[in-house]
Amino acid sequence: MAPKVGSRRSLVVSLFLTIAIAFGALGTTLALGWGPKLGLDLAGGLSVVYKPATHASKADMQEVVTILNNRVNGLGVSGAEVNLQGKNVVVSVPGVKNARAVLAAVGQTAQLLFRPVLCETTAPSAKAKAVSTVPACASSYALTAANLNVNTSTGEPTNNIALDPAYTNIKSTLPANDKPSAMVILPGLGTSDRYVLGPAQLTGKSVKSAVAQQDQVGAWVVNYTLTGAGSPLWDKVAEENFHAELAIELDGVVQSAPLIQPSQASFTSFDGQGEISGSFTESSAKNLALAMEFGSLPVRLEALNTVTVSPTLGHSSLVAGLGAGLVGLALVLLYTILYYRALGLVIVLGLGVTAALLWAIISALGHTAFAPSFDLAGVTGLIVSIGITVDSYIVYFERLKDEARAGRSVRSSVDRGFKSAWRTVLAADTVSLLAAVLLYIIAVGDVRGFAFFLGLSTLMDVAITWYFTRPIVILLGRRSSDSTSAISMAAGLTPGVVHE
Amino acid sequence: MSDVEKAPNRFQRLYRGLTTIDFVGRRRIWFTLSIVIIVIGIGSLSIRGFNLGIDFKGGDSWEVLAPHTSISKMTTAVERAGLTLPTVEKLGSDTYEVTADLNNLSTTNQTIVTNNVVNAMAKVADVNPIQVSTSSVGPTWGSQITDRALEALIIFFIAVVGYISIRFEPKMALAAFIAMVHDLLVTIGVYSLFGLQITPDTVIAILTILGYSLYDTVVVFDRVRDNTGGILKSGDITYGEMVNLSMNQTLARSINTSLVAILPVFSVLVVGAYILGATTLQSYGLALFVGLLSGAYSSIFIASPLLAVMKEREPRFRDLAARVASRSDHRILSPSSAALLGAEGSVRGTGATTTRTPRTSTYVTPRARKQKRR
Repeated sequence: MAPKVGSRRSLVVSLFLTIAIAFGALGTTLALGWGPKLGLDLAGGLSVVYKPATHASKADMQEVVTILNNRVNGLGVSGAEVNLQGKNVVVSVPGVKNARAVLAAVGQTAQLLFRPVLCETTAPSAKAKAVSTVPACASSYALTAANLNVNTSTGEPTNNIALDPAYTNIKSTLPANDKPSAMVILPGLGTSDRYVLGPAQLTGKSVKSAVAQQDQVGAWVVNYTLTGAGSPLWDKVAEENFHAELAIELDGVVQSAPLIQPSQASFTSFDGQGEISGSFTESSAKNLALAMEFGSLPVRLEALNTVTVSPTLGHSSLVAGLGAGLVGLALVLLYTILYYRALGLVIVLGLGVTAALLWAIISALGHTAFAPSFDLAGVTGLIVSIGITVDSYIVYFERLKDEARAGRSVRSSVDRGFKSAWRTVLAADTVSLLAAVLLYIIAVGDVRGFAFFLGLSTLMDVAITWYFTRPIVILLGRRSSDSTSAISMAAGLTPGVVHE
Repeated sequence: MSDVEKAPNRFQRLYRGLTTIDFVGRRRIWFTLSIVIIVIGIGSLSIRGFNLGIDFKGGDSWEVLAPHTSISKMTTAVERAGLTLPTVEKLGSDTYEVTADLNNLSTTNQTIVTNNVVNAMAKVADVNPIQVSTSSVGPTWGSQITDRALEALIIFFIAVVGYISIRFEPKMALAAFIAMVHDLLVTIGVYSLFGLQITPDTVIAILTILGYSLYDTVVVFDRVRDNTGGILKSGDITYGEMVNLSMNQTLARSINTSLVAILPVFSVLVVGAYILGATTLQSYGLALFVGLLSGAYSSIFIASPLLAVMKEREPRFRDLAARVASRSDHRILSPSSAALLGAEGSVRGTGATTTRTPRTSTYVTPRARKQKRR
């Protein structure tokens, strides 16, 4: 079926409706104060791509996304996004002022584990070697409840158990070997001594929330609440380790190793909540609380790619991108006007309509969670699409010249020319759209933004060609009956070529 | 009938689609030229390899806007901060980029060195440390990107060949495919030859180029299909000649399209990357620029002559060529006869001398263009 070219009335309606919609939409978004959601390379910010260190199920990765989302939101930054791209988790926080502070908090990719402390040891010597299995502690150095013999009135152990020297020549457990089920040697936070720890008895999943607070005497403590399922588990672990130390391990570092209920003579249930006290500073208490609440990831993450962009650099990139786009656009317009003269003005108006519509759509999409943010790659996609958009006009105008050379009147040339140009435009735009869609589905990171905006403007090109270019050129063509009119001059219908 | 007009100059001929460049006949020249460029590129690739960016090798980079410093000052500062053998470059007018690889350090030490370098650079630039942009890439990131890009490339090739085979015909799909491979090889060769850095953006740009090159080829093939619809019946012109004619007819369009595509990219490269110093734009712009030039060239000089060669081997078109050759009034195309051929879509025995046949007498059916519509 050849496309119907349409009656004069429908052409006029189509033309004015398109112009009205384009500039109406632009006006609306401007009036609402909407703008595109700028990507971090334009607004400044932070982006990290994590990959799971070991095999992780789809459900695990979904949980990672939820937890990272909580962490980022817990820091009070707005506009942060955490999403899954293939097997990777991408965290992007555009517009954040101090990107590296956020990075430090989000970058705690650890899993939180609770392990019993078996004994303590010294920092490794220079000759220390890695071992596959950690040997057991000598009984005289073991931090058992019996050895410690906690004095319930002071809350301190009666016996000061020395560091076990047997581990001096053994290296700390490497992250790759730090499995929950293994016995490990790990460093402690803020100490040169190391801990020899038993297999994990509980993970951070059991912790519902944790906050850093000051107690009555003004000392910093961490108050935590356990989940419904976690509460009995915690009680079981606490009872097993009553009057002994339970280490809280995050990312291979012991954050804290508190004694369990040292002020009580016998074990009592925690009833789902507890308090960790000790020599905390404000920041160490807050970090522990953050780690306890959000620290539990089902899988260890490795940062594949970390990027922070300063707001200044982002701004200068935005200026560069827009500047390059405008200069490019101006050059193209200048060329088309020089080449096609009056018809060039149709291209100018058409690009104006396209630009207005695109800006309105991009701004509106910026208000939904759906579209990728508008980054430098997206700007490039749009700049590239200038060529594709203008080409549709060129294809049509060149066809027009062909028809005119065949001796047809301007009136019939515009109709016939459009029909053949339309098929070419559709075929060519299909190819361009095919590329954009494939890239969007398959690619990672910035590429998606590029593909999205390229695809969007290709679709726009098809719509504009049909609803704007077709009516305006056909209407112009029907108005001009003589070969001296602007359109026939522009179409290359100089007298002599068509005269017989 | 007083139309003794001046012979049109080159531009006018191009403007009216009256050029008579023998694209198909001189194909050996174009093919040789392309092969030479590709061989040089591949030669360079096997000797020098690629200049891969940190995204492929893994590594760390820092960037800061610093109008009042020098490369040597920056180098001293970052070396003191703990970097061994850093690469310090000035991008655009006043952006400094420091590159080094910290992946063999432990995670803790990486953070310490990164922070030291950030502070050192901020001090040299006399800005707050938050104004320093950082990028840290693990050693396996690049292979992920490359794998994805290759995956996209292969699926894209299959989809495109399928689409053109159905919409046009398999031989056109093959010619377009070869033209795309040509552009890919040329771009890769140029990157290796000039030691330009390959970033993930380059990979994206190359994918775009292939799309664009194809877009260009499709427009030319669309015309070839239109024009060749009725040539078997009329028996006046061979397939190759018709391809050549189609090329000349669409030459103005091809040149215009390439120009309007290249102008914005050129602007990205010059204004965006070199004057305003946006490095992302530079890696996009460069690949796009090289690729678009190659794409415009391959649509005209590779894809179409190749199509003609392949089609001329089909028995029916070989017979046609024999028939055409045996006709006594067959002449070489001249500008004016080309114009008439193009105008009428079907061909009469128009020799070089019979210019401007009155069109009333040459009205044959318009182009046979609807039969294959889908």
